[in-house]
Amino acid sequence: MKNYSISSLILILTVSGSFFSCQDEITTTYTYRAMVPVYLAMSDVRARQVVIEPGKELENPGKIYLYGDYLLINEPQEGIHILDNTNPSSPINLNFIPIEGNVDLAVNNSMLYADNYVDLLVFDISNIRSIKQVERVKDVFNHMYSNSDTGVILTFKDSVITSTSDQRFINNGFFESNASLGFASNFSGAAQSYGQGGSMARFTLMSGHLYAVDDYSLRVFDVKVPAKPKHLQNIELGWGIETIFPFQEKLFIGSNTGMHIYDASKPSNPIKMSVFEHLTACDPVVVNKDYAFVTLRSGNTCWNGPNELQVVDIKNLREPKLVKAYPMLNPHGLALSGDHLYIAEGQHGLKSFNVANVMGIDQNQLEFLKSMKSVDIIPGPKSLIVIGPDGVCQFDYTKPDKLKPLSCINVKNPVAV
Amino acid sequence: MKLRFLIISILALSFTESFGQEKAYFNQTEMGVSFGNSAATWNGENEKRRDFSLITFHGVKISKNHAVGMSLGFDQYESISVIPIAIGWRGFLGKENKPQLIGGFDFGGGSAMFEKKEITEWHESWYRGGIMLSPSIGVKLPSKRGKTSLTMSMAYKRQELGFFTGFFERGNSPRPLPNSKLPPGYGSISETSYLFHSLVVRMGFMF
Repeated sequence: MKNYSISSLILILTVSGSFFSCQDEITTTYTYRAMVPVYLAMSDVRARQVVIEPGKELENPGKIYLYGDYLLINEPQEGIHILDNTNPSSPINLNFIPIEGNVDLAVNNSMLYADNYVDLLVFDISNIRSIKQVERVKDVFNHMYSNSDTGVILTFKDSVITSTSDQRFINNGFFESNASLGFASNFSGAAQSYGQGGSMARFTLMSGHLYAVDDYSLRVFDVKVPAKPKHLQNIELGWGIETIFPFQEKLFIGSNTGMHIYDASKPSNPIKMSVFEHLTACDPVVVNKDYAFVTLRSGNTCWNGPNELQVVDIKNLREPKLVKAYPMLNPHGLALSGDHLYIAEGQHGLKSFNVANVMGIDQNQLEFLKSMKSVDIIPGPKSLIVIGPDGVCQFDYTKPDKLKPLSCINVKNPVAV
Repeated sequence: MKLRFLIISILALSFTESFGQEKAYFNQTEMGVSFGNSAATWNGENEKRRDFSLITFHGVKISKNHAVGMSLGFDQYESISVIPIAIGWRGFLGKENKPQLIGGFDFGGGSAMFEKKEITEWHESWYRGGIMLSPSIGVKLPSKRGKTSLTMSMAYKRQELGFFTGFFERGNSPRPLPNSKLPPGYGSISETSYLFHSLVVRMGFMF
């Protein structure tokens, strides 16, 4: 019996040992978001014909533009949605113009101007059911060229990258920083200041001229013949240019470091009048006859500036003076309608103020709609159009102290908070 | 604390159930050491793994040579504590009241319930359990008096585990990309799958 037990034990050891030549296995999958550089030949981009598509869902609304009863919504880097907004309570999604690299737009006498990487395209939208591309002005936003000799542009694609390794994930920080780089560029381009992500262009029309700002300069186009924009000149502005607001033959240009005021009484050749400087922050501007309202905010691409509303006295345009600053939460775009100022407070909501008394704006807050996440506002003739990360909402603002919701077009893919 | 309570409970259960049970009830409780070779590190070297392992099997004898039931245990894999829960079988070869050969097979899952979920301002991470299977072979050495026998066994144990780390998006959240594998709210995630192969040498008793 003893022999039996010993031989059993030997058998056990042999069988068990045979299981045991292997080692543990570890597989780590990293998934992170990053902006991936993409090189494109403009010759290829130009060769692709723009074919108008039927209306499609909003994925990532960028800049909005109101033209008559049409609401145009940019899908950054993708193209432009056109909606019939005759009834703001029920806008109808009509069609989509796919335009690669598009971030900005403006409409002049039924001619839609849209950037297509380095080119400016013109579409005739007089018949909304039959939109036609009528012109391509080449090489006007040529700061996007990575190599202008070969006609290659550099753009970035927001991507999710997955990689695997047979090691345990140790250096967490590496991937974290990688991902946050992606966010910075993406969010500024796609959701916050609407139009900053790619070419950084921002368009406005005044006195038969189209003005487009990119990161560093102001580009002036003669559009007196709407279908034939003529590129006149580039005016260097310095860095961090963000927004442009036209008012009474003046251009108010918001930058990271201040507000530039240009006299455009000679539209083809705007002349600098003054610069109102402030701390580094992002800052859209709106203006009435006496005051400019500037919001400053901190954020990914805006360094760590303050979050505030500044009221600047511009009665003397050559010497703008800060009147008062009011603390805000994270103000983005803003809109002025008579004495009423609407401020998009980003994730925090939408605020409205009566600004008749600029010294007591904080005493005159009318509403704070916390659920209305917002980044930009257009005070249209029929409705107040508010754009936010969740979509585009419209309000009846005939009673400015009580906004009445009319409609919301929600995006397909809302932002997680 | 939880852990100590569990081990004490398992042992207490094994002992208390030895009294007043029907003859059909079968229990095998063993503890020992699990040996393994850790996955190669960055420089290609393996480290030996030696950890504590405990198993208690509760079942019924369905015939003279077979018992089926459930097993519960505690296994340590480096710094990770796992509670294996499985259904199992035990078979016996040899004459009763004489040393017998025992074969066993357990199949179930290992739970990482004792691993704390870590949440900070920047990230969160947790372990998740996985499939476990373990064939074993051993000997039963009956005591001269009573029904309790001493057992020694060796087992191969295959245990899968996972570890998830997700870094939150900072500042304003960007829009999630459609069809991406990144869950909303995270800027980056890492998922580690572990597959532990162990040889377990255990001693204990059965009745």
